[in-house]
Amino acid sequence: MGQWIIAYTPLVDLFLLHLGFAYAQYIVLRAGVFSLATAGLAGIGAYTAGVLAVKLGAHPALGVAAATLAGSGAALVLSLPLARLRGVYQAIATVAFVQIVYSVNLWAEPVTGGAMGLNNIPRTAGTGVLAVAALGTLYLVWAMERTRLGRAFNAIRQDEAMAATLGVDIVRHQALAFALSGAIAGLFGALEAYHAYALDPGQFAFPFLIAILSYVILGGRNSVAGPLIGTAILIILPELARPLAENRMLIYGVMLILVINFLPRGIADSLILAWRARRLARPEPAAGEP
Amino acid sequence: MLRLRNVSRHIGGIRAVDDVSLDIPPGRITGLIGPNGAGKTTIVNLITGMMPLTAGSIHLGGTDITRAPAHRICRAGLARTFQNMRLMADETVIDNVMIGFHRHDRCALPAALLNLPSARRMTATLRRRAAAMIAEFGMERFAGFPAGGLSYGHQRRVEIMRALASDPAFLLLDEPIAGMNDVEADALAAIFRRLAAEGRGILLIEHDMRFVASLCDHVHVLDGGRLIAGGRPAEVLRDPAVIAAYLGG
Amino acid sequence: MLAQQLLNGFVVGGVYALFALGFTLVFGIQRVLNLAHGAIFMSGAFIAYYTVAAGGPLWLGLALAVIGSGLISVLVEIVCFRRLRRSGDEEFGGIISSIGASLVIMTIAQRISDTQVLRFPFETFPVIIWRFWGLRVSALQLFMLALALALVVVLGWFIYRTAFGRQVRAVTQNERAAMLMGINPVRIHMQTFFLSGALAGAAGVLVGLAFSSIRYTMGEPFLMYGFVIIILGGLGSIPGALLASFLFGMGQTMLTAYMPSAISGLNEAFIFAALFLLLLFRPHGLMGREAAGALRGRR
Ligand SMILES: Nc1ncnc2c1ncn2[C@@H]1O[C@H](COP(=O)(O)OP(=O)(O)OP(=O)(O)O)[C@@H](O)[C@H]1O
Ligand SMILES: [Mg+2]
Repeated sequence: MGQWIIAYTPLVDLFLLHLGFAYAQYIVLRAGVFSLATAGLAGIGAYTAGVLAVKLGAHPALGVAAATLAGSGAALVLSLPLARLRGVYQAIATVAFVQIVYSVNLWAEPVTGGAMGLNNIPRTAGTGVLAVAALGTLYLVWAMERTRLGRAFNAIRQDEAMAATLGVDIVRHQALAFALSGAIAGLFGALEAYHAYALDPGQFAFPFLIAILSYVILGGRNSVAGPLIGTAILIILPELARPLAENRMLIYGVMLILVINFLPRGIADSLILAWRARRLARPEPAAGEP
Repeated sequence: MLRLRNVSRHIGGIRAVDDVSLDIPPGRITGLIGPNGAGKTTIVNLITGMMPLTAGSIHLGGTDITRAPAHRICRAGLARTFQNMRLMADETVIDNVMIGFHRHDRCALPAALLNLPSARRMTATLRRRAAAMIAEFGMERFAGFPAGGLSYGHQRRVEIMRALASDPAFLLLDEPIAGMNDVEADALAAIFRRLAAEGRGILLIEHDMRFVASLCDHVHVLDGGRLIAGGRPAEVLRDPAVIAAYLGG
Repeated sequence: MLAQQLLNGFVVGGVYALFALGFTLVFGIQRVLNLAHGAIFMSGAFIAYYTVAAGGPLWLGLALAVIGSGLISVLVEIVCFRRLRRSGDEEFGGIISSIGASLVIMTIAQRISDTQVLRFPFETFPVIIWRFWGLRVSALQLFMLALALALVVVLGWFIYRTAFGRQVRAVTQNERAAMLMGINPVRIHMQTFFLSGALAGAAGVLVGLAFSSIRYTMGEPFLMYGFVIIILGGLGSIPGALLASFLFGMGQTMLTAYMPSAISGLNEAFIFAALFLLLLFRPHGLMGREAAGALRGRR
């Protein structure tokens, strides 16, 4: 038993961290913003915490708080221009944001360590801390879903014009979703920093973006269980067999194509819809009336 | 009073709406008719802020809503239904109606984020009110159904309930009985009369002249984006210009 | 010095044009971003390299690259976009599935090249340099420019002078109306993807020759620059993309040449920040007319 726990701790930690990033991505998609900025926001959080820890020797709690604030602040600022864009334009703008964060990170070597990254970050976030953060995030996302926010996000995502005529302030709601997404990404970025000893800028670039996006697409982007399922599958899968681990990017690529074409809602959402359809198909004949 | 003055909207080279002035009084059902492509839906889009005006102004009571964003216009007391229904197809009828209550869906941000008791009470209240409204429209049986699976007539009723949920002072109905049978249409007519009696102003766009004539005191006729006639339904329908517009297509 | 930089930038701009024209053509006709376009570009360089490495002449490598990249592009269309177009989710879904295709193509290239940087054998393209009016021009540069311009002219001829082009433009403007006129959009989509991929493949070969470094990741920066260019030109606009390619090529060269070294590391950041500002203040670019911020209807 003890052996087993030790052997699998790194995997559990990885899962918990990525679960947080997946929810950061999930929240914006759910509010109808086609943002791919999560990687950049996570990078901002991670480096805020890392720099505070290494250069200033700040207390980890301060680092986490600062990273969360930095993430949500950056997201809030980013949401202003994004509010004027839609669809592919938002996607392009947010990819540009990720690139800007990456380039500035490389350039600001005296502060961020440049291409070498940051080393010797005290390791303070263990499995327990990660679990608490992940559970907190899970509760927040779950709770929010059941209130006016979830209802408004739902309407915006499905039909913005309809939502607006029903009184939903799209800009405000999307800004809020963005700020939350940034806060969560920043928080988990900081945890990543305090968990991994070291940071390097390439960590939060395109491959990261793709991994996070894959969790949400595979699991489902409209229900809370989606990112959980997607992250679990994609984190555990490579552990099952060596060839799976060696071909990770290939698997992600094939998976993205197959899922978006044949299971476009992802696993969780499809299951929920199928279950609901079955429940309705059973009782009273009147229910069959179209 | 909902007041349109010299409202125009040009789309590409087309004058979809051309210099239209009309008043929609409270407590009355005002008809808007015209052949296909006359610009009726475009007028509703302009009033509700879904499309900017090329020229003209729109006032709701004392406030200028000409350039207000759509959500403000809703909060000012205006609601609409869509000719090509826009429901959330995968969500249940009750969830579709609940989003209509957004204007009244209030609770502090922290409470909403964490689903604290005040937020839960709000949700429960709205769910109850939505259920009551669904019962009033005779659709209890379908409350838990995905809206996309309903018949046309039922979907139209969900659209109307959703619009009513915001408790609007003015209601713009774009072909609300298309796809309904006579029994359903009569039931709706009774509801529209009651809404007008409550003091709400209604703009009714319909192709079914019998229905329009039975409900409206005043009818405006639109053709090629311009108002070509207006008055009591019986008079308007005899107007040679109106007959020509319909026959000329 | 300035003239030299402008000349260099112009040559680079020609290559960008090859890359961006196909990118924007596909967007114009399908309203989708093909994020595998960078990988297709890279596959062109790979095909040419392996042809030359196997002893084939460069012209054969170039021809095979153009055809091969075109075919890969058609494959991407069939696998990534066709189903989604039918379900009406091609805007979001298309980005996801073309990212997937990009990953697959890049992994294959990584395997083939064993993650190595490949170089064309020395003198695959003769190294000749001319000087006139104080400018320095290599034969390769002239070749790049000539090929880019020739292909752009061919593309222009296709789009603006043939029945095929008329159909493409009809589908671009209004797919449903075009279908009513008896145009088969499936065929048009495959043809535009072929053209788009073929141009990108040619660009890949030129870049492989010019920088003498071919790597499975070489498409990534081009994809990013491609974004900037097609937004600058106006998404979907062919003349816009052409103009923007040359402006971008020259602008980027100048930036590299004249930026003080203390902040030259920020060049990329400046480019993408500029893209951001552009999206903010003129999202439809120089020549586009797409409503970038219009509220979305049903999704
Ligand atoms: N978004 C748009 N783009 C282009 N043209 C439009 C658009 N909306 C409306 N039009 C044009 O404006 C004119 C008026 O259309 P509108 O939909 O308002 O007519 P309508 O009176 O509602 O017709 P119907 O009875 O068929 O519903 C038509 O010629 C239509 O083609
Ligand atoms: Mg209409």
